[in-house]
Amino acid sequence: MKDNYLHKLSSFPKDKFGKILGYDNDHLKMPNKIIEMGLLPETVFRILYQAPFKGPLYVEFGNEKSRIALRKEEGDYIIVEDLD
Amino acid sequence: MQENNKKQVLLVGNPNVGKSTVFNALCKRKQKTGNYAGVTVASHSGTYSYKNEEVEVVDLPGSYSIYPSSEDEAIFSKFLLDEQKNFAGVIYILEALSLKRGLLLFQQIQDLGVPMILVVNQIDQAERRGINIDIQKFSEALDINIIQTNAKEQIGIETIQEAVLNNNFTKKENPSFEVPPEHKDFLDKVRSHNHFENDYKAWISLSLGADPEKIDETSELINELNSKSLVPKRLQVQETVRRYQIVDKILADVISKKPQFKELLTEKLDKVLVHKFWGYIVFLLVLLIVFNSVFFLAEYPMNWIDSFFAWLSAFTSEHLPQGPINSLVSEGIVPGLGGIIIFAPQIGILLYFLYLLEDSGYMARVIFLMDRFLRPFGLNGKSIVPLVSGTACAIPAVISTRNIENLRERLLTILVTPFMTCSARLPVYSIIIGLIISDKTFLGIQYKALVLLGMYLLGFLVALLSAAILKGFIKNQGRTYLVMDLPTYKKPLFGYDFKMVLGKVWDFITGAGKIIFLVSIIIWVLSYFGPKQNTNEIVATNVELDHSYLAKMGKAIEPAIAPLGYDWKMGVGILTSFVAREVFVGTMSTLYSLDDDAPEGKVIDKMRHDVKPNGEKVFSFATGISVLLFYAFAMQCVSTIAVVYRETKSWKWTGFQVVMMTGLAYFVSMIVYQILK
Repeated sequence: MKDNYLHKLSSFPKDKFGKILGYDNDHLKMPNKIIEMGLLPETVFRILYQAPFKGPLYVEFGNEKSRIALRKEEGDYIIVEDLD
Repeated sequence: MQENNKKQVLLVGNPNVGKSTVFNALCKRKQKTGNYAGVTVASHSGTYSYKNEEVEVVDLPGSYSIYPSSEDEAIFSKFLLDEQKNFAGVIYILEALSLKRGLLLFQQIQDLGVPMILVVNQIDQAERRGINIDIQKFSEALDINIIQTNAKEQIGIETIQEAVLNNNFTKKENPSFEVPPEHKDFLDKVRSHNHFENDYKAWISLSLGADPEKIDETSELINELNSKSLVPKRLQVQETVRRYQIVDKILADVISKKPQFKELLTEKLDKVLVHKFWGYIVFLLVLLIVFNSVFFLAEYPMNWIDSFFAWLSAFTSEHLPQGPINSLVSEGIVPGLGGIIIFAPQIGILLYFLYLLEDSGYMARVIFLMDRFLRPFGLNGKSIVPLVSGTACAIPAVISTRNIENLRERLLTILVTPFMTCSARLPVYSIIIGLIISDKTFLGIQYKALVLLGMYLLGFLVALLSAAILKGFIKNQGRTYLVMDLPTYKKPLFGYDFKMVLGKVWDFITGAGKIIFLVSIIIWVLSYFGPKQNTNEIVATNVELDHSYLAKMGKAIEPAIAPLGYDWKMGVGILTSFVAREVFVGTMSTLYSLDDDAPEGKVIDKMRHDVKPNGEKVFSFATGISVLLFYAFAMQCVSTIAVVYRETKSWKWTGFQVVMMTGLAYFVSMIVYQILK
């Protein structure tokens, strides 16, 4: 059962601020790169763009406003909450 | 010896932090770009001398972590772990705008016990963003001196050189990352058993997922290792998360931020450049500009080169003593070399644009835009870079697949990239299109240009199609993903890139030149001599081309190539092209220059008017199209085959690629010729 107040990053609305809470249960399958690039719990983020036909997400995150591209499939591993 | 006294240092950092700028500022003049053939990891190394000390700087590929997730990172990590002891130390570059990410790898290297110099680049950029870094505190927290630079403006570069001169590389006494207490006992055993200098080296031997045999050849530790079920990946995640917690704590003390900041150039540009619609329009425009320049800008230098070689040929013909040597030089070697050097401007311009696009940060946006469209073909967004580079040359393109993490996507990209129309095909296309397509225009565009464009599209389509077919035959290993930094836009290093291009073009000329020189001589020898016609000769010299050994050999293979519409001369051209495609032009030039029956004039006119014994034109429309298709598909490049083997480490796939491409070429050319003739 998924908590209704929790979203996955992949289904998070565009242009809204959110915060990363943690990772999906089977996160051993998750590419390490997600963590290495700095998408860590407590990080504030915003989805700025998405490429057409459900293409990759363009995410801005952290204090340094880093930018990262990741696919929806990778976004599925990341559990986030709404900040608004 | 001078060589041995050279101090060697490593330049390390994340990708896109201005490492190349620092490298370029340090070693202004003496740089060598790595060539394709070498096995060395260094993309390039350079030297400088400062106060009478010679220093060699090796610029390692950028990486985010000591734990590799792609081939280029694996090369980086292996080199750093194995070779670091041979260097005086590491110069680590941090970008002021992404300190957090950069500190992960920094700490890892520091904990390995490697002596380091820390450089923070582009502080001005951070200030513009309203970010203030307390360098004093930062330095204390990291236990290392910090050099501030603005490499673009040459600021701070001398300070780095001074620090290297004084050996100001520092080691950290206590590791930032302490191995988790639950593993401490076991790690102590591993450490003492293998005589690791510190805990972190022992930890890394486990977290890198090393072969247990290497950790301990006796079974005692292996059993314990197995019973603990230490998953390397879990250890890596544990370490990374822990390190970022430490980094966050440090940065919270060091960075202060003004509440508001200006929108950066990157944010403004990305509104258009990654836009759902305009992003693609811009990408198309960029491609158009690049290819337009390749053809139109290159025209002038190409004309000069053409005239020069025509003059050189006439000059050598006139001034060398009459006889075989005269004919060899003026009709064999000179036209052969000219035929290839003429394409250097096009290759150079194309490569230059590619470097500039990569440098500026734009390529990452293209990957973002293209990922969704390449996935159905079993490729990754990152495949677009090799595919576009493949239009210059397949060799660097195949090497550039190293950053594709998924092995199947990488292999597929390697297998299909040589279908892209590389610059070596251009000379062949230009000649054949010149021979068979009329000068008429359609809506103001030359037919010739349209056909050439068509060949480029054909290459791209066949690359995609074959990827879609092949993906079913390649077992998928590991997951496919795209997690990629989108760097800030930077002004490209125009001068630096220009130097790189000159180096690559020179490699191309000398590499191809050597081959063509040899092939020209062999062809000339084989066509100058022939089987004896009078009983008192051993061999006949200065025979008519049709009676030469070359003709004998060409005619022997004619049955195999006749269904494709080729005569023996083209057969020789195609055979020699298996060394490299562009050799075709040299071979044809040599062959037709030697043909005394043909009327005087340019080689291309001789080719145009050449007829078969039955009176048909040798270069008919059907034959021409058949040649174009053959060159579009066949794997005719020894260097590419070598580099594919090196990158795939598999004779099976290398051989498969050669057979697939060449087989496809043979059958498509044959079918099309039979339909058109």
